[in-house]
Amino acid sequence: MSITESSNLPGSVALGVSAVGVSRRFGTVHAVEHIDFHAPAGKVTALIGPNGAGKTTLLLMLASLLRPDSGTIRIDGLDPLRDSAAVRLRIGWMPDTLGVWESLTAREILVQMARFYRLPNAGIGQRVDELLELVRLDALAGQPARVLSRGQQQRLSLARALIHDPSVLLLDEPASGLDPGSRVELRNLLRRLAGAGKAVVVSSHVLSELDEIADGAVFVNQGRTVKQQTLEEAARQGRRYAITALDNQALAAKLSELNLEYRVEAGLHPSVTLLLTHDDGAAALLRDLVTAGIEVVSFAPAAGALEETYMNLETERR
Amino acid sequence: MSNVTETVPGPAGPQGTTGGGNAVVGYLSGIRDVVVLEMKQRLRSRGWYIMLGIWFVVIAVVTWLTWAAWSASAGIQRSMPSSGMSMQSGPGSAIFEAVLVFVLLFALLVAPALSANAVNGDRAGGTLAILQVTLLTPGQILWGKFLAAWLAALAFLVTSIPFLVFGLVQGGLSPGHILVSLLMLGVEIAIVCGIGVGISALAGRPLFSIVVSYLTVAGLVVLSLIAFGLGMQLTQESVMVDEPGPSMAYIPPSASGGPQSIPCRPVQQTVFHTERVALVLAINPFVVVADAIPYPERDSANSMLGAGMLEGISQGTRQALAGPRLPFSPCVDGVYQPQNQQLQNQYQYLQQTTPVWPLGLSMQLVLAGLLMWLGWRALRTPANRLARGTRIA
Repeated sequence: MSITESSNLPGSVALGVSAVGVSRRFGTVHAVEHIDFHAPAGKVTALIGPNGAGKTTLLLMLASLLRPDSGTIRIDGLDPLRDSAAVRLRIGWMPDTLGVWESLTAREILVQMARFYRLPNAGIGQRVDELLELVRLDALAGQPARVLSRGQQQRLSLARALIHDPSVLLLDEPASGLDPGSRVELRNLLRRLAGAGKAVVVSSHVLSELDEIADGAVFVNQGRTVKQQTLEEAARQGRRYAITALDNQALAAKLSELNLEYRVEAGLHPSVTLLLTHDDGAAALLRDLVTAGIEVVSFAPAAGALEETYMNLETERR
Repeated sequence: MSNVTETVPGPAGPQGTTGGGNAVVGYLSGIRDVVVLEMKQRLRSRGWYIMLGIWFVVIAVVTWLTWAAWSASAGIQRSMPSSGMSMQSGPGSAIFEAVLVFVLLFALLVAPALSANAVNGDRAGGTLAILQVTLLTPGQILWGKFLAAWLAALAFLVTSIPFLVFGLVQGGLSPGHILVSLLMLGVEIAIVCGIGVGISALAGRPLFSIVVSYLTVAGLVVLSLIAFGLGMQLTQESVMVDEPGPSMAYIPPSASGGPQSIPCRPVQQTVFHTERVALVLAINPFVVVADAIPYPERDSANSMLGAGMLEGISQGTRQALAGPRLPFSPCVDGVYQPQNQQLQNQYQYLQQTTPVWPLGLSMQLVLAGLLMWLGWRALRTPANRLARGTRIA
């Protein structure tokens, strides 16, 4: 039987993805070292970290392609090492390398994938049509993948990952190469998929984007889990605000007078940034500045909540 | 499992995962799906058609040259009726054999190119992991890639059939001849494809695996000859052989008319125990094909004169494998043999009937099978070890 020990009662199975103490070495390189990672069903979980942090390696292990040296992985409570077929039916994986069969048409690629997942023959045509429409490639369905743009190939890759209606989606840099319109669509699509009860794991560098879609984030660096937080927690930790005024010196003087710690940022548009813990504080400060006669031009979060965490981690590391 | 599926929004279960017969059908249909995917890509690449076109032209030229060469020599022979030699069997055998040898040669050159990047080419393109993450097993992927490479290479064989038939029509050969030849060519191509696909699953980079496959094929063809030649030198032995003696001076026939009066005596002679190293010859694809083709019975009346190149290869190998048990000496067991008995002994020796090809083919199958098995191990997921310098995706 494929149910793990912990799941005597139906429903008590931890749906989604969980990895505990997972490590993987390549020769002498510790790509992933004792990472803990949880991505519950029905949520979008962001996997964030600098280049070479082990994100792709972790995703490969979660996708049952790579065997961890140690640690356990559960996909909907199933062990990829023992029930690889059952796990693979549940996983939709979108690699960071596009990897399309260039001479095949978009439709043929999806049909082939459906066959590889042994979907019933009768439903394949309809399923492929649905997905082509979902990723807006229906007009290009007959074109060989070679002629598709990078963003279109990216969308095709997403459709490919969705062909067997998996319950867990592992997306490695899904937004790279997408135009702004497609990004918004991807965002909505991922939210919809999470809303349908799927566990969605997204690795990305574009942090501001993840703010909009992720329910939680796992920060990894140098193969380790650095931080795991929900977006609410990220928002609560305070954000850095950037303020510009017509007279920046007057602004700085006022901030000093208010006993606030601030930083003068060098940049094209000179600004002052400071850390504010909550929105009420931000509103109060803006009111104070304006009533004090400072001509504020802009007053906005300098970075997204996740970016804030990310940058903090970066500075802590130094 | 059922508990989980009920609580998880997911697809319907896969078809054909239960029951023995269904499992086999499912396995085979997975292979077929991979073959379809591969063939679609191969059939859409222009390079394959160009290679096929070049192949056709080259084989046509070879056929024409052989035919022209035969016509020319036949014309000279006709102009010299005094030579007394009749053309044995028309040009059929010569043309057929020349074309067959060339087809095999080019097949050995083309098959590695078609097979040796099958797996790591996909790995480099990032499409291998796409297959691995589906329900396909490593065996299905590997068999599918092997079959697709084989089919693509077989197309070259099919292209050369007109010329083989031309050789057949020119005379002297049975359709069975051509069928066995085509079958063996197909098998040899399969072996080279197996070697290529196996190596491509093992090696990190396509260029490397293609070169290694070519070297392996070259090893089968050339190295086996060199190894045999050098190894033979190590098998030299001095043995005592009965030779007519004491001198080879002419002795007039005795009254009874027979040459029995020539005494035989043991003489120190160097022999090569070729049977100890002939095994390496057997692995040569040319030997396997040449040896598998059935040839007409030869005896003293129907001499080896009509034998072509391939029959020569076959007999040579069989003799090498038989070893120097029947040296060409007029003396047998210390008794000088009459002339016709001598000839008979020679033909007996030449007419080695133990086939070599099953042995050679088995060795080739073991080699290809071993490489495929190692390749299968390298394709298993979740992967334990990765080839140096490669990413799984």
